[in-house]
Amino acid sequence: MLGRVAPGVCQVVAVVNHQPNRNMATLKAISIRLKSVKNIQKITQSMKMVSAAKYTRAERELKAARPYGEGSILFYERAEVAPPEDDPKQLYVAITSDRAIPRLTTPNSRSFARRCARRRCRGEGGSYCEVIGRLPPTFSDAAKLAEAILTSGYEFGSGKIVYNKFRSVVSYQQSDLPLYSQKAVQGAPKLATYDSLDSDVIQSYMEFSLASMLFYAMKEGACSEQSSRMTAMDNASKNAGEMIDKLTLTFNRTRQAVITRELIEIISGAAALD
Amino acid sequence: MSAWRQAGLTYINYSNIAARVLRRSLKADLRNEALKRDESHVRITPWANGRPAPRLNKQTNSSAL
Repeated sequence: MLGRVAPGVCQVVAVVNHQPNRNMATLKAISIRLKSVKNIQKITQSMKMVSAAKYTRAERELKAARPYGEGSILFYERAEVAPPEDDPKQLYVAITSDRAIPRLTTPNSRSFARRCARRRCRGEGGSYCEVIGRLPPTFSDAAKLAEAILTSGYEFGSGKIVYNKFRSVVSYQQSDLPLYSQKAVQGAPKLATYDSLDSDVIQSYMEFSLASMLFYAMKEGACSEQSSRMTAMDNASKNAGEMIDKLTLTFNRTRQAVITRELIEIISGAAALD
Repeated sequence: MSAWRQAGLTYINYSNIAARVLRRSLKADLRNEALKRDESHVRITPWANGRPAPRLNKQTNSSAL
């Protein structure tokens, strides 16, 4: 029995070294680890609860925000807007919502944003990096962002909003929304589908659709973040649970081993006296 | 051309101002909820040459607003 326990014992001793009494120290080390893992599990569980609540809210808000984005896309599709070939300048807006756990939530979109910012700036100058606070995004946020893009003085022919599209609780996908300049929209072949459009109306609509698409992309991002955070925390709790099981087993075995050894010592001592 | 555009506002400004007025004119019980949607928590940092630009740039941008 002692031989079987030995590998596990050695591992734990390696963690807490310089202990004179091996078995006692091992037991103590294991119980300390057990306690810390249990605490971690408690933390991840409560984080999961928090993000589950946030996720339900984000999903509800996403449902309300969806028409903003889909309506704009539909307009471009119906009017068959195409990016102008004579204007190669492109605007990329990368929307991501992660702060604390970037690796878990949005590796693609974030690194894409960084890369874009670098490349854009070297070529044209004047890209923006946005920091959004703890609260879920509002339309005013999107409006401010759109305002900043419009006033940045960068004349783009076409462009893309890159964001994380929420698909289900466990998955999201990096996707993009199209952006066009006013000229591109005015030159669209099927613009006549829409009634009473003059350049003023189109300009106003372009501004509004930029803001609403940004809003939609932000909401999608926020929802993806919360859902993947929830999944990640759920996984972490599960892993901690497995670890606790293993540690409990090791702890019990070690305790048993200690008792057995003490008994052997006592009995053999008694036998030696006889 | 409409008056607000002549004044240098974009449609976003215009509709935001309209929305704010509407929210403020709501009844008290609905107003509190609506005012929460009016808040914005965005900080905008201009980037140049692959890194965040100093404040100087920001001021020129905000004056352009």
